[in-house]
Amino acid sequence: MSTDSDRLERQRNRNGWLLSTPALVLLAFGATGPLLIMFVYSFLEPGKYGNVIWEFSTKAWFNVFVQRDIFDGTLSPADAHLTILWRSVKLSLMTTIFTFIVGFPTAWFIATRPPRMRTLLLFLITIPFWTNLLIRTFAINQIIRNEGLLNTLLLKLGIINEPLLIIYSDFAVFIGMTYVYLPLMVLPLFASIDRFDMRLVEAGYDLYASRWQVLKRVIVPIVKPGIISGSILVFIPSLGAYVTPRILGGGRNMMIGNFIELQFGQGRNWPLGAALSVILLLIVAVALVVYVRFANRGDSNV
Amino acid sequence: MSAQDGVEARNARKVYGTGQEKVVALDNVSIVIKRGEFFTLLGPSGCGKTTLLRLIAGFETPTSGTILLDGTDITYDPPNKRPVNTVFQSYALFPHLTVAQNIGFGLEMRGHAKAEVDSTVEEMLALVRMESMADRKPTQLSGGQQQRVALARALAPQPKVLLLDEPLSALDLKLRKEMQSELKRLQLETGITFIFVTHDQEEALTMSDRIGVMKSGSLLQVGSPREIYTRPADRFVASFIGETNFLTGVLGKDAITLDAGGTLPLGASTQAKSGSKVTASIRPEQIRVIETDAPGSLPATVTESVYFGTDSHCHFALADGTEVVVRLQSPASGDVGLSRGQNVFLRFEPGALMVLEDQA
Repeated sequence: MSTDSDRLERQRNRNGWLLSTPALVLLAFGATGPLLIMFVYSFLEPGKYGNVIWEFSTKAWFNVFVQRDIFDGTLSPADAHLTILWRSVKLSLMTTIFTFIVGFPTAWFIATRPPRMRTLLLFLITIPFWTNLLIRTFAINQIIRNEGLLNTLLLKLGIINEPLLIIYSDFAVFIGMTYVYLPLMVLPLFASIDRFDMRLVEAGYDLYASRWQVLKRVIVPIVKPGIISGSILVFIPSLGAYVTPRILGGGRNMMIGNFIELQFGQGRNWPLGAALSVILLLIVAVALVVYVRFANRGDSNV
Repeated sequence: MSAQDGVEARNARKVYGTGQEKVVALDNVSIVIKRGEFFTLLGPSGCGKTTLLRLIAGFETPTSGTILLDGTDITYDPPNKRPVNTVFQSYALFPHLTVAQNIGFGLEMRGHAKAEVDSTVEEMLALVRMESMADRKPTQLSGGQQQRVALARALAPQPKVLLLDEPLSALDLKLRKEMQSELKRLQLETGITFIFVTHDQEEALTMSDRIGVMKSGSLLQVGSPREIYTRPADRFVASFIGETNFLTGVLGKDAITLDAGGTLPLGASTQAKSGSKVTASIRPEQIRVIETDAPGSLPATVTESVYFGTDSHCHFALADGTEVVVRLQSPASGDVGLSRGQNVFLRFEPGALMVLEDQA
């Protein structure tokens, strides 16, 4: 009898694998394949009109960090690259933190409404996804540009005498990314706050915790999975953001996504672009590891 | 101990909603619960007992009226400023903390030193016999164990009053019995005032020093379990606490002439006027079944006999058709020897028949 059931079990497992083959194949070719190509390209010579020459070279990796003066050939750190990298990380971190600050109360508010209201509010949160990112970003552009809605209004009201110079700055990119990624923070936060047992808040108050202590010692530790996934969902796409910095940051305030695009386009330096892509991937990986470690650490010593 | 010691509610009223959807959860309830008392609020769901508990805990503020603790007005103090702790119906243990951390939470929030917290936690673990579970998470515990942790957590900060909101309702019968005596033991050992909310009359009778019976936001009767059981104030209390038989009749001097025929002596004097129509109650265990007529007995016909193990509930019809239930202890054979249609006589224990005051 047991051999029969064992065989059935094995067969079921085999069938399970068979069923997931399409997904596995897609993953292998769709995700791993391109990454592998990028990795290989980053060790090749750039072609004259784009593309690559199949010769091993570490020049691209060298150029990511160091630049050679075109006149005297002296070496110096590649300031431009580092500035762009730093701006990307900084803006992404700011976006993550700010979407959390705005998103947490929003998610809490939604989760504590009656069921019908909650459905409506969640629906409203998802509305921005119906419109193309490009169009939404241009809409933001229309609001914050020098002759835009915001400045016109403030000027008419006499609050300011000169238009605020927001557009084409890091701040504009930050505003745009916060707007674009806020739903990605709110939804996972909502999911975990929704599961949170509100009676624990009462238990906390009952046991002499202040409002702040209840938030810090009871609510945040329990909804942490939502905070982690929300932060990851916001941080990763903001780090590689392309459209938003392009439209709101102008040409000057590039992020790493725009810079990589430049290397594959006008720059005609595919290996450098590939190396930068790998670096982007590394930053994400490191950030994930650090964040998850950091987030889990709290558990043991609360 | 001064007269003001303990918990007091003065004209506490709580109204939820407005206009059409207005619900009066608590209707001008006044009550004094003495220090060190095991007090039970008993009533069906929706009677306002939990609302009263939440007013004392501070989770809600009354629409009008005041709550006092040892003579001090605490009506508008937030829960974290009251020396009152709650054992929640769902336990509400913190899932991310261990048993020991859960128990230490209150003391820690009050800013006690770590060493002090640790020693109190040990004490509490021993008190509820959970020493070996200190490092477990609540999800790894059974319902009864979670219950003990919830108790220990609420007792650890040594509150003046412990509120228990139907804490035993999620447990199975055997465990519930165990926890009942456990609770009683803890209350005696700690000397803390326990205010216990339940809809289980047996729980209320076995554990309490005093019981307050509630219905639709009002307090109907307050008294010791014995008083409540033997001298119920009205029909509702009589039927809610234990089972009972209602008999109507006309009141005479220290006796009642039943509509079913026969005049029986009353157990206690009543305020009802002589000659008025009244309802009296008698408990099923206060009636004897006899074969032959005797003074103070009524003829009856057996209609049904239900076996309950330790006893049998026999239903009888009196002369006018009134149904009377009698509880008979089961003999060794389990058969009480009464068959349907059999004519017998019911003898009421002297003093067991009570006139319900609200019928006067």
